[in-house]
Order: sequence, then C-alpha cells, then structure tokens
Amino acid sequence: MKRAIAILVLLLGVSIALAISFGATSLSWHAILGGDETARTILFRIRLPRVLLGALVGATLAVAGVTFQTLLRNPLADPFILGVSGGAAAGAATATAFGLAAYRGVVPAIAFVGACGATAAVFTLARRRDYVDPTRLLLSGLVLNAFFSAVILISFSLSKQSDLTAALRWMMGTLFGAGWSDVALLGVLLIVVITALAFIANDLRMLAFGEDDARSRGVNVERVKWIGFGASSIVTGAAVAVSGIIGFVGLLVPHLIRLIWRRDFRFLLPLSALGGATLVVLADLLARVAVNASELPIGAFTALLGVPFFLSLLRRSR
Amino acid sequence: MTLDLRNVSFAYGGTHALCDITVSFGANQLVALAGPNGSGKSTLLKLAARVAHPSTGELFFDGRALRDWPAKDYAKQVGYLPQDTEPAFPMRAIDVVVSGRAPFLGRFAWEGESDFAEARKALAMCDATHLAERYLDEMSGGERKRVFLARVLAGTPRVILLDEPLAALDVAHVQQFSKLLREIVDRTGSTVVFASHDLNWAAAYSDRMLVMRGGVLALDAPPRDVMRPDVVAELFGFDARITDGWLVPR
Repeated sequence: MKRAIAILVLLLGVSIALAISFGATSLSWHAILGGDETARTILFRIRLPRVLLGALVGATLAVAGVTFQTLLRNPLADPFILGVSGGAAAGAATATAFGLAAYRGVVPAIAFVGACGATAAVFTLARRRDYVDPTRLLLSGLVLNAFFSAVILISFSLSKQSDLTAALRWMMGTLFGAGWSDVALLGVLLIVVITALAFIANDLRMLAFGEDDARSRGVNVERVKWIGFGASSIVTGAAVAVSGIIGFVGLLVPHLIRLIWRRDFRFLLPLSALGGATLVVLADLLARVAVNASELPIGAFTALLGVPFFLSLLRRSR
Repeated sequence: MTLDLRNVSFAYGGTHALCDITVSFGANQLVALAGPNGSGKSTLLKLAARVAHPSTGELFFDGRALRDWPAKDYAKQVGYLPQDTEPAFPMRAIDVVVSGRAPFLGRFAWEGESDFAEARKALAMCDATHLAERYLDEMSGGERKRVFLARVLAGTPRVILLDEPLAALDVAHVQQFSKLLREIVDRTGSTVVFASHDLNWAAAYSDRMLVMRGGVLALDAPPRDVMRPDVVAELFGFDARITDGWLVPR
C-alpha cells in the first residue's frame, strides 16, 4: 500500500511538472525564477490552475467510479451511470440555447444544478420505501440519460451557431480557461467527499459481498449507500460543471489499479484518486500540445492513453 | 448462549413467509433446518442474522431483544453465510477470510496481525490453508464454500447460520462439508444452524432437525424421529421407505 502510493505520487508529480513545462508557449524555469513577468503570469494565472484542476477532476472521476463500482457490485459502472453527466449536459445545453453562454459562470452553475437534479430524480425513481434497489438505480440512470440526450439535441438545434462551439467543446471535456476559483471549489469539495468515503470505507468494502452479507456483519447498508452515492454524485456534478464531460477516467482507472493491485475498496480509493489525477493531467498535456495552436478534446486522450495500457494489463492477467 | 424466537412472523408484499415461529437454540448443537424450497428456511435465518426484522414477535439473544443489540456487537456473536455470496471483484482467499473480522475493527482501522492469525486459524479448521493465496474465481465450488465458511469462523461467532451450504456441491463434497460442520460444533462449542432442502443430508450429521412447511415450523425433533416413512409422508407427501437410515423413493 505505502509503496503503491509512493509510486503513484511520484508519477503524478512528474506528470504535473511536465504539464507545467510544456504548452502553447514554452516556459523555461530559468525565466520564471529570473522574475520574467510574462512567464510568471502564464505559469500562475493559466497553466498551474489548469494543471491542478485537471488533477482534481481526474481524482474526482476515478474516486466516483470506484465507489459506484463497489456500491453497485458492477464492474461496468462509471461516475456517469446515474445520469449525472446527462443532467449536467442537459442543463448546460439548455442554458446555451437560451443564450446564457455569454455570461461567465452561468453555464457551469446550471450544469451543476442539472447534475444534482438528475441524481435526485434517479434516487427517487429507484427508491422503494426505505430501500434503494441497485438494479432500479442503474435502469433509472440509463433511461434518464436517454431523456437528457433528447433535451441536448433539441437545445443544440435551437442554439446560435456562435454559442455551439463552446458548448460542443464542453461536451467533449475541456480544462480551457480554468481558474483558481475552480481549483478551490473542486478541491475543497473533493477533500470533503474523500473524507466521507474514508469514513464509510470499512463498511463499503463489505458491500462487495452483497447487501445481506454486509448487514449480517453489522453494516448499516442504507446509510453507506446514501453517503456513497450522494457524495460521489455531488462531486462528480461539480467536476462536470468545471470541465465538461471527460469520459473513460472513472471506468478505466479503478480497473487499471485493480489489475495491478487486486485489493479491496480501502486500497482502491486513494490509489484511484492518484491514478485518475495522473491520467487527466497527462491527457490534458497531450490535448494541448499534440496539434500546434489548437486544443483537442481531453476525453479522446484519456482513452488514447488508457486503452493500450489497460489492454496490455488485461492480456497479461490470465 | 441462547437464541430464542418468540411468536415470530414475517410478511412481505402481502405474503406470509413465516408464521408464528417459536423456537429456542442452545450452545453446542448441529441443527438442520429442513423443508422444501419456499418453506421459510432462508427467511428464518435472515431474521436470526438480523438481516431483516420480524413483522410481529421478537427474537432474543442471551435474553436481550435483537433490536436492542448494537449491530456490530451482534455480528460478533452470530455469523451468517447467505446462499450465494460472491465478491463482485476478484479477491484472494486470505483477504476474503480476514474480512470476516470486520465487526471487530474500528472505523478507520485495518486488520492487524491478530486478525490475520484468526483468519489463518479459520482456514486451517476448514482444511483450506493451501488456498490462502489463491483467488476465489480460480477455485471449485467446494473450495469456495470452505473459504466462505472460514470467513464466518474468522469472526469467532457463537452461532453460525448457513443458508443451503450443501447446495451446488457434489456428493463427495457434501459429505466432507457436513463432517466439517460436525467438527466445528465439537471443537468450538458453537451452534451451527444450516438450511438444507435435502432431507437425507439434513438428517445425516445433525443433532436436531427443524422441519419447515409453508412458513410454519412443522416439527422439531431428533433426526431419527423425522426420518420415518409415516412422518415424511405426512409432512412432504413423499412416499418413501427407509434403507440404512436413508429415505429412498418407493
């Protein structure tokens, strides 16, 4: 565990250093330390918040992914499976259609409201008396996501051409324009959520054996589900609001970690957070520098980086 | 140790799964819970394991009502193995077994050396020491059952509730597993209650049989008083003869 964390912290550190050093303008450490104002502005106003936000978003998605996979006992679960992304995207698309994209901060705020609304709706649908049924939860998320797709399509048809570019970029995931306020917001929220998950980690990993089994071990299953789903959904909503929809991290990173260190939730939680952070930082770096003077979607690079690595591990593991 | 069910009924969705059950368990017994599928065996075990609560009536452990027992404290007294337990993700047997120590752990604590020692002891008792480092999905059904039994034993419970532990095992493994249950009772002095829809195996190694039918406790007797053609015919409508203590269809 300690060695695994040390390795991943080192990887994340190297990735962050690389991501800070490279970009549209190359930054020399010499210039920054020498007091070059332009270089300092680029570093502290643009690049550092962007890289840190990427790390936080990646950690968030991976933490939500491993939590959902454990709670739902389903290896295919990802942070977006309960309609969080669909709700956020529908909110953002509707706001864009009403021409609100011109006001800074409005679209992310509405996206966050959409994410929370979607989560609440999915839970209401999946709830039977005092019990949340995982199968109904999955099904409700799936159906609501389909509904949100319809809302998004209609909103896009009604949006102005000039607003569409930004909306599309958000749908594909981007850290463009990240600021310190985003970093602070998501950072605080993520710390709260990871603390909450650590609080229930000993109980949550028992759910891997089924709900009845966990109950017989003295686990308050309903409370664990509420905290687990609730905390992960809210922080995912916040991540989506600031960065758009970055696919694949939440599904892939926990599996990657699990293929290397096959242990329970208590190990996977911190390791996934570090792995997710590293993956998004690297993907964002590539998205920025791969093609000169244009930004490519991060989601494409999380997949491009993750898939070969994942497949090679999968082939080697029996 | 006493576990008492007093006038316990359980209903869900309008159907009565259990109807007015009154029964008492003491220490050091191997009890078979027999009866056809759907007769209420699983429900009775769930109530005793505190996985569900009765609609009416009350359960008592050592004279104290179950609802007054803190969940973790009760989990230290009573171990339960549901019918199909399977971790959602691949795990090593030793990690599965040591997770049976969960009720003893503090909120942020990890299993320590004493927990692993208890886990290894449980694996040894189940003749599964050699499986410790292997992954569950690489094992046969019989091996997996032994690992899960070890997981229950690792919690050093005084009552062990097993739901259909013999189902899906072949004959040789059924015998091996039944003997193992006998050994556990003899060596630890705890009480094992196992559900089985197979009357012959339920009778073969148990001290006492509870026969369920339609949510009602139809009979509570030693195996020799259950395994009689007239009793079986009345309880199950099964026309049989007894050969060497085994029920055989006529």
